[in-house]
Amino acid sequence: MSDAGVVRLLVFRVGNLVCAAEAERVREILPRLATTRIPGTPPLVAGLVNVRGTLVTVVEGWRALRQPEPPAANGTQSGTTVLLEVGGGRKVLGFTVDEVVDLLAADAAALDRRPALPGIDPTLVRAVGRRAGQLFVVLDTDALLTPILSS
Amino acid sequence: MSHTVLVCDDAIFMRTMISDILAQAGFEIVGEAETGSQAVEKYRQLKPDLVTMDIVMPDMGGIDAVREIVKQDPDAKILMCSAMGQQALVVEAIQAGAKDFVVKPFQPSRVLEAVQRVLG
Amino acid sequence: MDLSQYAELFLAESREHLSACNQLLLEWERQPAGLTPVSGLFRAVHTVKGMAATMGYARVTDLAHRMESLLDVLRRGAHPATDELLQLLFRARDALERAVELSVVGRERELEVAEIVADLDHAALRLARAKVGAAAEGPREAGGVTPSVVPPPPEVEAAATGRLVQVTLRPEAPLKAGRALLVLKRAQALGVVLAVTPPQTAFEAEDFEGRFSFRLDSPAAPDEIETALRAAGDVAHLTVGGEEVRGSGLEGLPAAPAEGGRSRHIRVDLRRLDGLMDLIGELATARGRLNQLAAERRDPAIDDVAIQVSRLSSDLQAEIIQARMTPVWQVFDRFPRLVRDLARELGKQVAFRVEGKEIELDRTILDELGDPLLHLLRNAVDHGIEPPAERRRRGKPPEGEIVLTAVRERASVAITVSDDGRGIDRPKILERAKRDGAVDAHAEALTDDQLLRVLARPGFSTAETVTSVSGRGVGIDVAMTRIRALGGTIDIRSEPGKGTAFVLRLPVTLAIVRAIIASVGPERYALPLTYVAETVELGTVTTTVVEGREAIVLRDRVVPLVHLRRLLAVTSDREPARAPIIVLEMGDRRAGVVVDGMLGQQEIVVKGFDAPQGTLPVFSGATIMGDGIPALILDAGGLL
Repeated sequence: MSDAGVVRLLVFRVGNLVCAAEAERVREILPRLATTRIPGTPPLVAGLVNVRGTLVTVVEGWRALRQPEPPAANGTQSGTTVLLEVGGGRKVLGFTVDEVVDLLAADAAALDRRPALPGIDPTLVRAVGRRAGQLFVVLDTDALLTPILSS
Repeated sequence: MSHTVLVCDDAIFMRTMISDILAQAGFEIVGEAETGSQAVEKYRQLKPDLVTMDIVMPDMGGIDAVREIVKQDPDAKILMCSAMGQQALVVEAIQAGAKDFVVKPFQPSRVLEAVQRVLG
Repeated sequence: MDLSQYAELFLAESREHLSACNQLLLEWERQPAGLTPVSGLFRAVHTVKGMAATMGYARVTDLAHRMESLLDVLRRGAHPATDELLQLLFRARDALERAVELSVVGRERELEVAEIVADLDHAALRLARAKVGAAAEGPREAGGVTPSVVPPPPEVEAAATGRLVQVTLRPEAPLKAGRALLVLKRAQALGVVLAVTPPQTAFEAEDFEGRFSFRLDSPAAPDEIETALRAAGDVAHLTVGGEEVRGSGLEGLPAAPAEGGRSRHIRVDLRRLDGLMDLIGELATARGRLNQLAAERRDPAIDDVAIQVSRLSSDLQAEIIQARMTPVWQVFDRFPRLVRDLARELGKQVAFRVEGKEIELDRTILDELGDPLLHLLRNAVDHGIEPPAERRRRGKPPEGEIVLTAVRERASVAITVSDDGRGIDRPKILERAKRDGAVDAHAEALTDDQLLRVLARPGFSTAETVTSVSGRGVGIDVAMTRIRALGGTIDIRSEPGKGTAFVLRLPVTLAIVRAIIASVGPERYALPLTYVAETVELGTVTTTVVEGREAIVLRDRVVPLVHLRRLLAVTSDREPARAPIIVLEMGDRRAGVVVDGMLGQQEIVVKGFDAPQGTLPVFSGATIMGDGIPALILDAGGLL
C-alpha cells in the first residue's frame, strides 16, 4: 500500500470483525461454493472448489480470524467467497466471509498504520480505517494466507 | 494460372522461408522434399513448373537430384539454393542442368529475380 | 522482411542439428576411420550456417563456416578421428550451440568465439597442408616416377567468325564462377562459343573478378544476344561485337497470391497443445455432465446425442494426446555426450547404450524427466562404475557399462538406468542410516525399498569423497520428488559387485487418465487405472497380519492393506462388511486399497492444485467431476 493517494478497499464482515482487503488483490467475489475436503489439512482450510475449471483452495475466514462460527454456515450455502491474489498474484486463494459490506476508496493518509486492535492478531493488520463511524481492519492478506500454502 | 513450385531442402526453416517468399509472390507451392531422392520422386509425381533445390541434403544430394530430374525431363527448371563458398558445387550443378542459383542468406528480391530468369 | 517470426523455427531446428552433431561425434569416436559421421557433421553444420546467415546472425554464421571448412577438409581427406580433433569439434559444437542460443535472444554480441575460431582455422590449415604435402610426395614414394607435367591448354585461336562478347559481372554478385557459367550456357544456346578468356577453369579461382570474354558464332542479332545473355543475371556490363549496350531492368512478377501447399508435417508450439488439452479437459467435463443429464432424463433422443458427443470427444481427445506424444530420444540424445565427458573427467571407461529410443511419452512428462535421469546417470558414472584398475582387480573388463532403457508397460513407461559397477554398499548405508536414526538401531539388513527410502532422505550422501559431479547426495531425493510429482515411481535394485539399477515408472500421459471413482463415506476419490492390477472384496479373500500390518493373500502373495477411511480420516459411517479392495501394483510392490464403494470408471482430467500446508502426500492432483465438484486423485506411488 502506498503512503499517498487513494486506496480502493473491499470491506467485508467476518463474525464480529469488519475487515477490508485491498481491492487490487481481489480477483473475484463468488457465492459460497461446494468444497471438497483436503485430508490432512488444518480445519481452517475449507477445501477445494471449482472456479470455472480451475481448482482453488478456500480458507474458512471465521477460523482464520478466530471468530465465532456463523450460525447458518453449517451445511448450508450461505456466505460469500472472495478470491484473493497471494504472493504478488502468483497464487489465488478463496477466503470465506459472512458478507461483503462495501467497496470504498480511502485516502491512504487517513489510514492508521498497524495500530493494535482488540480481537485480532496484530501481525495480520496492515492498517485501521474508519467507515461510517465504525473502525475496520485492513488485513495483510499475504501474512494471513501465505503460511497456509506449503511452498 | 500461377506457376507451381517444388521446394527441396532438408531444413524446414529453409523450406518455410522459400515457400513463404514464393507463395507471397503468387506461386503455388505444390510440394516439399527433404532429400534428393524425395525431390526426384516428387518431381515425377507433381511435374512442377519450378524446383528450388538445396545442394547439401542427406540421402541423395541436390546435384545428383538435378541429374536425375534432367534425365527425366530435359526442360526441368531447377533453381539451386547454395551457400557462400559452394562455388565449385554450383558450377557442377549448372553443368548438370540447373538453370540458375541463389545464394543464402536469401533476400526475397534476389530469389524472385532468379525465379523469373529461370521461368523466362 | 520480418525475420523474427522464423526465430523459433530456427532455434528448434538448429537444436536438432546440434544434437545430431553430438551423436555423430560420438559415433566417429567409436569408429575413427568411418567417413559417414563426418559427412553427417558437415551437412548438419552447413544447414545451421545457412539458416543463421538467413536470420542475419553473423557470428553464428562465421563460426559455423569455420567449423564447416574444417569438416570439409576432413571429409575430403578421409581423415581419421584423433582425440585432439574430437575435442576440438566437441568444443566447437558447444560454442556453436551457445552462439545459436544467444543470438536468438538478441545477445549475439556477448559471444566470445575468437579462440575457438582460431583453433578451427589452425587445424584446417594444418590438415590441408599435410594433405598437399602427402599428395606431392605420394607418387614419388610409390614408384620413384616423376609426376608428368600437364601441358598448359593450348590457346584457343580467336575465331575469325563470331562476335566478341565482353562481360563484366556485378562486383557484389556472389559465386561469380556460377554466374559466368550461366552466361556461357545461354550463349551456347544461341550458337557456338569459342575462345573463352580467361579459360573457364580459371573462373573458380579466387582472384576471378567476373570479367571475361568469348566469341559467339550465332545468327542472332546483337541486341537479341545481349538480351539473352543479360537474362543470366548479375551482369553489370555487356558488349556484343564491340558495341557496348546498357541494359534492361526486371520484368514484372506474377501477382496473384495463391494458397501454397505444404508438407504434411508442421511444427506446433507446445503452448498451443497445452491450450488444446485444457479445452479438451473442459469438453470432457461437459461431456460428463451431459451424460449425467441424459441418464436422468431418460429421453432416447438426448441419449443418442450424448453418446455421439461422447464418442466424438473421446476420439478428439485421443488425437490430441497422440499429438503430444514425443519419442524419448528427444531427451535421451544428449546423454551419450554427457556420459562420455563425465567418464573422461573422472578417469573412468564407460560404454553407454540406449535402448527403446522410439518409445513415446507425453511431452510434458518427457521435459520433466531430463534432470532426474541426468542425476541418475551421473551417479552411475561417479559412484557406480569403478576406476579401470579396480575393475581389473575384481576380474571385470576395465570398461564399465551403463544402459538407459525405455520399455512400454501397460499404461506406463519404465525407464531404467543400470550400471555394472560396484553396487551400493548396503552395510555402510545401514550404518549411516542407523546413526541418522533413519532405521531401527537393531535392523540387520536393508531391503531395496528401505535402501531407496534412506537414499532419498534429503542430504544423505554415501560418496567416500565428495566430487564436483554428484555432490553430496543431493539429487536422489530431488529426482524422486520430481518423478512422484509426475505420478511416477522409482525402484532400485542393487547387488554388491554387480551393479545398480534404478527403474522409473511414468504414466504415458498426464493430462487425461482413466480412473476408478471410489467412495469413502460421503467423499469421492479418483484412482488412476495406470497401476490398478485388479479389484477384490474384503471378506472373500484370506486376511492375515504381516509385520503388524493387515494384509490379504492373493495367489500366494501377501498384499498389505491400506484403509482409505483411516488414512484419510473420514469420520462418518462405518466401513461396509464387503468393502471393495483395489489392488495396486507397481513393479514388485503391491498394496490393497480398501474403499467403501466403487462408483464406476471414467476418464478424468488431471489438474494441479496448490496443496495447502498439511495435505497428505498421497494425492497427485484433482479432477472436476460431472457435477462440477472437485475430487482428489490418489497417487499410487504415495499409497505404496
